[in-house]
Amino acid sequence: MAHTEIDWPATLRATDSVEQAAAVRELRDVLQTGLRVALNGRSDVSEAHLEDFTQEGVVRILARLDQFQGRSKFTTWAQAIALNVAFTELRRKRWQDVSLDALMADGERMTEPGMIADNALGADEDRMRLVAVLRQAIENDLTPKQRAAIMGELREMPFDQIVELLGTSRSAAYKMLHDARRALKQRLHEAGITGADIQNAFSL
Amino acid sequence: MKQEEERLTSGQVGSIVKMLGLTTDREFNCTECLQNVSEFAESQLAGKPVTEIIARVEQHLALCPECSEEYDALRKILQAGQ
Repeated sequence: MAHTEIDWPATLRATDSVEQAAAVRELRDVLQTGLRVALNGRSDVSEAHLEDFTQEGVVRILARLDQFQGRSKFTTWAQAIALNVAFTELRRKRWQDVSLDALMADGERMTEPGMIADNALGADEDRMRLVAVLRQAIENDLTPKQRAAIMGELREMPFDQIVELLGTSRSAAYKMLHDARRALKQRLHEAGITGADIQNAFSL
Repeated sequence: MKQEEERLTSGQVGSIVKMLGLTTDREFNCTECLQNVSEFAESQLAGKPVTEIIARVEQHLALCPECSEEYDALRKILQAGQ
């Protein structure tokens, strides 16, 4: 069964159950082939994982068909969702034993003296000043949850795990982190350190 | 959680500062990035001009290591299919 890129969503919604089932089977094959390429060589991924990720990917895609806007190929859009399913699960397994208490305690360590060394970015006077302003802003302008979320990210903890531990939603957690970054940036700005200064200093 | 790390490394402090440098008032979150990353990936591979949506995806990927990891995997799939 060959689909043009245009008729994937329509076929997956087909009322003809034979046609719809064939489309789902083909979507499964496309997703599994892609996942196999993307996750090739990972020792933490088995055939059973690939099956699970594919199945969950199909379910997620069918539930989100209305969100496909046709600005890319349907299969590219679908692969992105399947990859999100797979990576989210793989990250969750790696961090499943971390508790909220541990995350919050780690966040509070950001305010401890010496946690951020004066010369963390180098001994240059401007950089030491930047660190001093940043350290003060982290202590005074952020909430404990914002500090915990930032520390989680610095430890490379999955965002979904941070969201789950903080008992919030993805969008609320992202907004909380965005607000934290804006607050810190504003404090640097008030100290005469602009976004351009930062970008120049770090060759962004 | 690695409590044995007594202080943030230079790389970690640098990461915070770099994120501040990339922060803008209006940004895509991870969900919005996922909704648009397929268009971004195809545009990048085809060398198409940057639209506002593409630029926002690119900015989010620079800030978010997880979405960036998934984008790299998507790119790998697309390249394998070319």
